[in-house]
Amino acid sequence: MGDTESRGAAIDADGVELTYSDGTEAVRGIDLEVPEGEFFGFLGPNGAGKTTTIKTFTTLLSPTGGTISVNGYDVVSEAQQVRESIGYMAQETSVDLELTARENVRFAAQAYGVPREHRADRIDELLDLVDLADVADKRADEFSGGMKKRLDVATALVHDPPLVFLDEPTTGLDPKARNRLWDYFERINEQGTTLFLTTQYLEEADALCDRLAVILDGEIVAEGSPMELKRRVGGEILDVDLDDPDERERAAEIAREAGVFDSDADVTVSDDGISVTAERAREHGTDLLVALRDADVTVTGFNIRAPTLDDVFLSITGEKPDLDGDDGDDVTETTTEVRAE
Amino acid sequence: MSDNERDGDDVRDGAETRTDGGGTAGSTERAGSEGARRSSNGFVGDFWVNFVRWNIKAVRNPFVVVGSLLQPVIFLVLFTQVFGQIATGAISRGGGAGISYETFLLPAIAMQVSLAAGAGSGIGLVNDMEEGMFEKVLVTPMSRTAVFLGKTAAELLRIVVQIVIILGMGTLLGANIATGIPGAIGIVVMGILFSLWFVALSNIAAVVTRDQESTIIGANLLQFPLLFVSTAFLPLEFLPGWIQTIATFNPVTYGVDGARALMLDQDVMTVVEVTQFGGIWNTLVPAVAVLLALDIVLGGVMVYLLNRASSSSVR
Repeated sequence: MGDTESRGAAIDADGVELTYSDGTEAVRGIDLEVPEGEFFGFLGPNGAGKTTTIKTFTTLLSPTGGTISVNGYDVVSEAQQVRESIGYMAQETSVDLELTARENVRFAAQAYGVPREHRADRIDELLDLVDLADVADKRADEFSGGMKKRLDVATALVHDPPLVFLDEPTTGLDPKARNRLWDYFERINEQGTTLFLTTQYLEEADALCDRLAVILDGEIVAEGSPMELKRRVGGEILDVDLDDPDERERAAEIAREAGVFDSDADVTVSDDGISVTAERAREHGTDLLVALRDADVTVTGFNIRAPTLDDVFLSITGEKPDLDGDDGDDVTETTTEVRAE
Repeated sequence: MSDNERDGDDVRDGAETRTDGGGTAGSTERAGSEGARRSSNGFVGDFWVNFVRWNIKAVRNPFVVVGSLLQPVIFLVLFTQVFGQIATGAISRGGGAGISYETFLLPAIAMQVSLAAGAGSGIGLVNDMEEGMFEKVLVTPMSRTAVFLGKTAAELLRIVVQIVIILGMGTLLGANIATGIPGAIGIVVMGILFSLWFVALSNIAAVVTRDQESTIIGANLLQFPLLFVSTAFLPLEFLPGWIQTIATFNPVTYGVDGARALMLDQDVMTVVEVTQFGGIWNTLVPAVAVLLALDIVLGGVMVYLLNRASSSSVR
């Protein structure tokens, strides 16, 4: 989607392929351009190739085909310059459990050569940002999963790189911690930092990202701003809640057959009832409710809304996002958290 | 987020403003104003950062410092108490009159310390792999050689400290270092030379298995047979023929004989008869030669495997 190539591109990937030696084609010809200063979101179901793609961008894996330039440097022949100019946070939390939070951040600051005179202030600033200032001198093995995750974020940002790769940085965080990080990501983005983010939370991608790409089976299948992608779904969505699971198929049948919507309306059975995606779903919604009542289907609730990224994701990938995301996260954070009193 | 319109438009406006002042000018300005941008540490800086990290980890982990000393200390105390009388008699019948078993055993225990610490090296590496720290370090601009040397130097420092502790304890138990302080330093150096091949071996196990349990089991299982089928606990002539044969090819024999020559101020090596250097050098020269060769060969394999593990080519 990159409109001009003259502008500085933080990432310029051309025909990237990655085939493992066992023959698995994890990435199958990706073209991607992320301009400097963009907040870019990279979405896709588990196993689609998100992490493998990020690893080729961050020099951890050499592409088996195509070329990648990061901050103007080739990831293969100029790997060292690429490493000096990026921050990276892996999907699996990576912290040294035997070190304290402060020592972990200090190690990262030193590894990236943050000048000595700025180091202490910068470390304090980052620890405060991720809300670990009061446990800064506790060892990371005493931390909950969410705290380790936040510590990992701090180590990826400490050297203030112009381009940061964040592979699911907020998975497992409670909403408060997530919002705090969102604010920080937006702030450094406004100051010019390019962010490349993967996430399981589509509302996160919607709120933060200028532009998104959706990867499926190693190929990019959709690309555009959140608005553009949502427009692609088309129309409005009418959700009808039905408590009785046995009535859902019948209700879907009525919605398809009653002739209240245009013929291209899409009716799906969801966990709570049925969803109808159609042009002018708003106008015809009451007709459907009447038809359902006439057929003795008990409607417990209904809602008409614009498409969300979840709908985009569902229509593109055929899979629901957040399968292992939204539910468990608050529990992880609050039940096991260690706090310095 | 349901107010998508607002988001989309704002973002696009923002992007315009950004790119106006953007490009290289924007980046340099940031670098100057924020001041937190990287500057290369250089090789020594990278080395030091990693050396410090691994030393902190060693001090933090009670198992590493105390636990790995425990077994050699138990061996030292139990062996000298249980076998002391018989063994001292055997040694003096074998021509080592006046040598206590404490004195005979102490250099072997010093080498056991090196072996245990060497095993820890691979365990540290595989632990780093499992915690994701290995990959995290690979993404940084640090020199990979400096990263690895820093880690190894921290492990060697630990070996030095532990051997000094063991020599001190042995002396308290009645062992006597015939060559005095210079000999004690020599034993420490022998311990370092002797540990390197096992450091390499445990790192090879770590890279090949990438599994903590396998590395621990592999490194620990090897230690005891290696110690027993060597000259560590008894002079060669008291061992059965088949063990004598294995002992000839066992690196432990060369480390122990080298350290023991320094301990007793005698040519103690019998697996290989060298006579042209005179005195303890008839033991030290072949011992050092064998250990150096082994260090270089296994070290080379380790460097090759580590390079491969940290390179970005798909395997």
